[in-house]
Amino acid sequence: MATIKMRTLLATISGGRQEFVRLCFLSVFVFFSFTLKAQDFGLYWKFKDYDGAVAVSAPGWLAKIGSLFIDEDEGRQLVRKINKVRVLVFQDGSPLTAKDFTRFRRKAEKRHLDELLTIREGKNRVQIYGKMRRNKIKKVVVMFDTPDDGSGMLSLKGRFRLEDVTKAFNKMGKKPKNGDKPVVPPVLNVPVIRA
Amino acid sequence: MKKYLFLLPFFFLAALMNAAAQNDAITRFFNQYAEDERFTVVYVAPKLFSMVSKIETNDEEWNNVREIVKDLTGLRVLTADSIADGLALYKSALSKVPVSEYSELLTVRDGNQNVRFWTKDTNDGTIIEELLLLVGAPDEFTLLSFTGKIDLDKISDLSKALDINGAEQLGKLKKSKPKN
Repeated sequence: MATIKMRTLLATISGGRQEFVRLCFLSVFVFFSFTLKAQDFGLYWKFKDYDGAVAVSAPGWLAKIGSLFIDEDEGRQLVRKINKVRVLVFQDGSPLTAKDFTRFRRKAEKRHLDELLTIREGKNRVQIYGKMRRNKIKKVVVMFDTPDDGSGMLSLKGRFRLEDVTKAFNKMGKKPKNGDKPVVPPVLNVPVIRA
Repeated sequence: MKKYLFLLPFFFLAALMNAAAQNDAITRFFNQYAEDERFTVVYVAPKLFSMVSKIETNDEEWNNVREIVKDLTGLRVLTADSIADGLALYKSALSKVPVSEYSELLTVRDGNQNVRFWTKDTNDGTIIEELLLLVGAPDEFTLLSFTGKIDLDKISDLSKALDINGAEQLGKLKKSKPKN
């Protein structure tokens, strides 16, 4: 940013009007790209430092490294398409209010993140939102609220082609060979450390 | 005569609002109990149906479901299996069904249990575009609405795939359909 400011100043002094305008546009773009990133998941950014919350944000390259440990080719291909994973879990009750949900829904609607599925049974609730463009799933957000297992959200950003999902489904649909047992991943249990 | 012409748009507006209100009666009923913890609520958006219909697998069971849902555009379920006022809710929902828009397909009363199916057809009556199921018993209530291009035979097969209270009633559609 300091370099941009310096170049802007120099451009103004030297009278390079065109370059000044170009740099102004660049500054505005940089500013808005940061602002949009901050607004992207209002809920995540608002509650990631909440006492009792477990917030994990993993970049795409970490998912790519993680994909090396996956045996199945289809699964590995699918994980490699992940650009960003964000998980926010509240193990001792959710601080999210109805207002937070309303704001989230409004933002989601604006950004073409459509509600795909809602299931509520008693106090348990699961909501899935998705963003699709040209046969590609670009974002999936799962919001869950269960009195026993906590509540929170999971957000996956990537470029998953429906064909990749189909392949992964096909792999899952295949019956295991004689003697082979399907691999069940261990349940992730993240301890909550309180200050 | 001319001086009444300005009222014409208002008549159209009133007619449109009336139609919308009738359509919304069921939606309002769903929304009224959407947050009630006695009920189980399921909502499947049209986009998910279109997404599911594009996923082809080798799994026969999945392909059967895909074949059924490929023409569907929405599903809403409101169900409760241990409530005290199931019949009162049934009567309340029954009063909200816009009878002029739907045609009754099947009615079954077995003891205290009432099952009713309605369909909404396209203007030419060739395609069913909505199927409404209402089940009411003293301790049970189900309101289920399918939208899209509906084949009754296929929908009745969905009763096995849907693990929802009241969905087993969809099987009655096959039995009730006259054979050619």
